Amino acid sequence: MATAANSSQPLSLAEPTGLGRRLVALLPGVLLLAAVGYAGKFIEQTIAVYTKSHHITFPNIEYVLWAIVIGLLISNTVGVPRTFQPGVATYEFWLKAGIVLLGSRFLLGDILHLGGISLLLVAVALTLSLAFMHLLGRIFKLKPKLTSLLAVGSSICGVSAIIAAKPAIDADDEDASYAIAAILALGALSLFTFPLIGHSLHLSDKAYGLWAGLAVDNTAEATAAGALYSDAAGKVAVLAKTTRNALIGFVVLAYAIYWSSRGQAQAVGHKAEFLWKKFPKFVLGFLFISLLATLGYFTRPQLTSLANLSRWAFLLTFAGVGLRTSFRELGKQGWRPLAVGAIGEVFIALVTLGLVFGADRLLHL
Amino acid sequence: MTESKTPRRRFSLDAYAVTLALVLALLVRLNILPTVKW
Repeated sequence: MATAANSSQPLSLAEPTGLGRRLVALLPGVLLLAAVGYAGKFIEQTIAVYTKSHHITFPNIEYVLWAIVIGLLISNTVGVPRTFQPGVATYEFWLKAGIVLLGSRFLLGDILHLGGISLLLVAVALTLSLAFMHLLGRIFKLKPKLTSLLAVGSSICGVSAIIAAKPAIDADDEDASYAIAAILALGALSLFTFPLIGHSLHLSDKAYGLWAGLAVDNTAEATAAGALYSDAAGKVAVLAKTTRNALIGFVVLAYAIYWSSRGQAQAVGHKAEFLWKKFPKFVLGFLFISLLATLGYFTRPQLTSLANLSRWAFLLTFAGVGLRTSFRELGKQGWRPLAVGAIGEVFIALVTLGLVFGADRLLHL
Repeated sequence: MTESKTPRRRFSLDAYAVTLALVLALLVRLNILPTVKW
């Protein structure tokens, strides 16, 4: 899963030498993301116009799904040529830019309300899922560090959490790529299963968005799973997922301390510095834009423009989700990490669904 | 004499993403960017 791992590395745009060359190298892949994403949007609109003009009743299939499916078709048939790969790997960059811009659609009060509920639910789900994943790892006789990576990935934020935890606990490259593959495979599955379950349970947009944000691992997949349900659900899914992401540093720190206490990882020096290093900085950008929107810095048409910019950025992300998922690569990783991940994911999905139901009743989402 | 090499500070993906989003927000605020449609 080289593409997934590369995508989480810092973009090396800061080096002045060859900056232009680096940007040019990204261009083909970014254009491919745009083409795939726009094709998804075009198909959705064409079907909507055709069915309306011919008075045909047909369920609206969102551009999100079309973009992902087109991406999956390309990556699993002809494959993504090497020239396009650096640009395709920027999908996470567009995701983060999109999330920051989405901050304009939240008032700080909403963030405090829903973010507070998310934080509470994340804390409960996190404790249960970490304990359960370690139990599963023991039952399936996985290597303890691979279990730690799977637990971090499935309980916090997928690939980014695994990348953050790997050096902190001195895990092998092989373990990290196993864990990443399992998380990505399950993330792809959740795109198709979550909306179906949400509709069959008649979940409200808020409840579904909260559930997707709490249960789906990777930020890109959680955003897509939310957007597949509705625009409002997508917004809530991003907020819940962002709250979850904000806790990454604490969980990775706890694992780093645990493994170093067993003499199997380097000791953590300055804990506050460690936390800051692992903290996802785009969360601050999201809060800042939301603060500006709350203070009335933008007019209503300007807020609409910012929301649309966020949608365009997500369009590139969704195309990237499909383009970087290779079922052939996933199949090579062996069944045991996948089985542990899958059972753990089902457990997390059920626990978070129960929590969301409870929160909906008690805290009135 | 060997010169000690300090690793060049690399900006993270997050920093670039936040910068782009803030620049776009500023351009929208100053009405430099035309209305963005979906």
